[in-house]
Amino acid sequence: MKHEKETTSPSAEVPEWMLDLDRVGFVRRLFLSRKWYGGDWWFVAISAVLLLFVIIVGIFPQWFAPYDPKAEVGPSLLEPGEPPSEFILVAKIEKGEITLVDIANKSNNVGFIVGSPASQAVREVLDELNESAPTGVRYQPRQRRYETLEEGLTALTEGKLDGFVVSPDELGDSLNAYPDLQVAGTLREQGSSGFVMGTNQIGQDVFSRIIWGTRIALIVGLSSAMISFLLGVPLGLFSGFIGGPLDRILTLLMDSLYSFPGLILAITIAAVLGPGIGNIIVSIAVLYIPTYYRIVRGQTLQVKEELYVEAARSLGTSWFSILVKYIFPNVIPSVVIIFSVNVGDAILTEAGLSFLGFGLPPDTPDWGIDLARGQDYVRRAWWLITFPGLMVTMVTLSFSMLGESLSEILNPRLAEQ
Amino acid sequence: MSASLRRFIITRILLTIPMVLILVTMIFFIMRILPGDPIRSQLGPRVSEEQANQLRERLGLNRPLYVQYFDFLWDMVTLNFGTALTQGERPILDELGERLPATIELTIPAIIITAVIGIYSGAYAAKNRKKPVDYVIRLLSIVAYSIPVFFMGLVFQILFSVRLPIFPLAGRMDTLLLTSFQTQTNFYVIDAILARNWPALGSALMHLVLPSVTLGLALSGVFVRLTRVNMIEMLQSDFIIAGRARGLPERRLAYKHALRNTFIPILTLLGLQFAILLAGAVLTETTFSWPGVGRYLVERIQLRDYTAVQATIAIFALFVAFVSLLMDLLYAFIDPRIRY
Repeated sequence: MKHEKETTSPSAEVPEWMLDLDRVGFVRRLFLSRKWYGGDWWFVAISAVLLLFVIIVGIFPQWFAPYDPKAEVGPSLLEPGEPPSEFILVAKIEKGEITLVDIANKSNNVGFIVGSPASQAVREVLDELNESAPTGVRYQPRQRRYETLEEGLTALTEGKLDGFVVSPDELGDSLNAYPDLQVAGTLREQGSSGFVMGTNQIGQDVFSRIIWGTRIALIVGLSSAMISFLLGVPLGLFSGFIGGPLDRILTLLMDSLYSFPGLILAITIAAVLGPGIGNIIVSIAVLYIPTYYRIVRGQTLQVKEELYVEAARSLGTSWFSILVKYIFPNVIPSVVIIFSVNVGDAILTEAGLSFLGFGLPPDTPDWGIDLARGQDYVRRAWWLITFPGLMVTMVTLSFSMLGESLSEILNPRLAEQ
Repeated sequence: MSASLRRFIITRILLTIPMVLILVTMIFFIMRILPGDPIRSQLGPRVSEEQANQLRERLGLNRPLYVQYFDFLWDMVTLNFGTALTQGERPILDELGERLPATIELTIPAIIITAVIGIYSGAYAAKNRKKPVDYVIRLLSIVAYSIPVFFMGLVFQILFSVRLPIFPLAGRMDTLLLTSFQTQTNFYVIDAILARNWPALGSALMHLVLPSVTLGLALSGVFVRLTRVNMIEMLQSDFIIAGRARGLPERRLAYKHALRNTFIPILTLLGLQFAILLAGAVLTETTFSWPGVGRYLVERIQLRDYTAVQATIAIFALFVAFVSLLMDLLYAFIDPRIRY
């Protein structure tokens, strides 16, 4: 009792509440901390809310994603919010009201302007028709491409074509010049609503892919951080506690690993292991083991000289329980901080690996892969890279912000200096 | 040179050797032990076993692993990196000799940008600690750290190359100029100046802007934070308090006395940043089709060109170890307290 009183008497420089913090556990320290009143709490609050949302999205992407991320759900390269445009079928008046089905046999000819999205619209309608067609029937009209609208319409009046597919905007009022032509029907209605974040080059919904990408990012980030944690922390504890040649060798090994550019090492390992989510997790996990090791070892070296460890040892406590009961709890706060930053880092690294083409199988809904694919369309489609890129940034930012503010809260002395 | 300093230098240099050795060994065994046959991926699946064996023999891959390993180590010591397996089988040292200047040309402006942004805003934030501007700078530095380098590069491409066509999208120089451009050093800026080829110089500089700004900004996040922390510590040190007591103006105290002393820790940080810089260069070079070492590495890994990859990574390791050694030695010269 007497002994305790002596150590807790507040010194002139360190305020009482800080000394209190040193005596309580990690969770209570979080709540007791003066920092909560100082202004950093909103940093934690914002990142925690963001992360909570991200985690919910990652666990239940199907609640948020309107479409299947791998399915082709619309025309390609639609701008965000732009509805799929309307297409109409032009034919001779004598044919009356017809649709594409009526002129979709192999002997029929359907025309459109070269390079217009009409060709895609025709293909989509035909695909739909063929799916519901009775067996043995196949709708496959011959497709003709024309340089200009006039060429196509002239061919139609001359009877070379049975129908011409065009969007109303392209057509304008040029039908006035062709008295025996009429708008026979609508090929595809104008979509009532577009896609929130547009579609990519193969007509997948960008928004749905981003939502499903959250799951991949979280899986890779959390599990690789977990593996580094599970390997790095015990190694650091043992190495620092036992010391000797083992400690020196491990330190050298970890320091060399730590000094090398992480991404390059990850690329090498990932390239050798081949694509696949497990391989990516392993190659990222290797990078962050030294981070845990270094911090944990340093703290172990410090703590093992403390009086209470000495006391426990003299009472005959086994070294294992000293490690677990007396040293490990001291390490927790720093490890929590590293873990938080590490998850963010891992997500960043994973995006980098996928961007370089060493990540996951090519069609996975993954932010890095979407960014890499969007790079080819950087001139035409800004939305392909902007949204996945913002997601990576936001998630990494939330994890780093959480780590940063936790470190200020958990290590108040360090921050007060 | 004092005896203690000499001892420090010798110990530090001796410590570098096992570090490089470990890295090089690690790379060697990763490439050998993990699945994937370089010969098969090189020749394709349809080649006969005999042909595969021939190539294996020519490259010395049929020898026992330990012989290969010591051979590899000896090659590293004698700086003989062999020839690449793909793309014309040229000596790797020649290929890297062409690529390395491109990377250096990209990274030097990037380091300058990082240092200027990092030191200025870090010091400014430290001086105005806990004011709104401090929070803003801190937040921005975390943002800079969290944005993927390649995403930042792509955004710059969209903004300043597609929307506002100021800067070229990618590459090191306009292809038209490149046909009449003679390179000697492979530093395009230097070559253009030497040849007094002003249009080429302009083109080279314009091509340099977006990639180097991207890389510089991406690295500045860490730099701002580290400068800020060190500066805060420095501002609370005794000599600053003494200066304040004597009535020296606060500006002078901060930017002259404190900042100057912060440079020492920042110098070591530059050494640590170097590894991040290399990783960032890989991504930046890929984004901007910049023909540097980083892109070379990525291309060769994709081709499974094991000799080239091994040599490139070994050179990276040597580079990293050398820079960190250099920084530590510099630190020891400047600060006499650092000794073993």
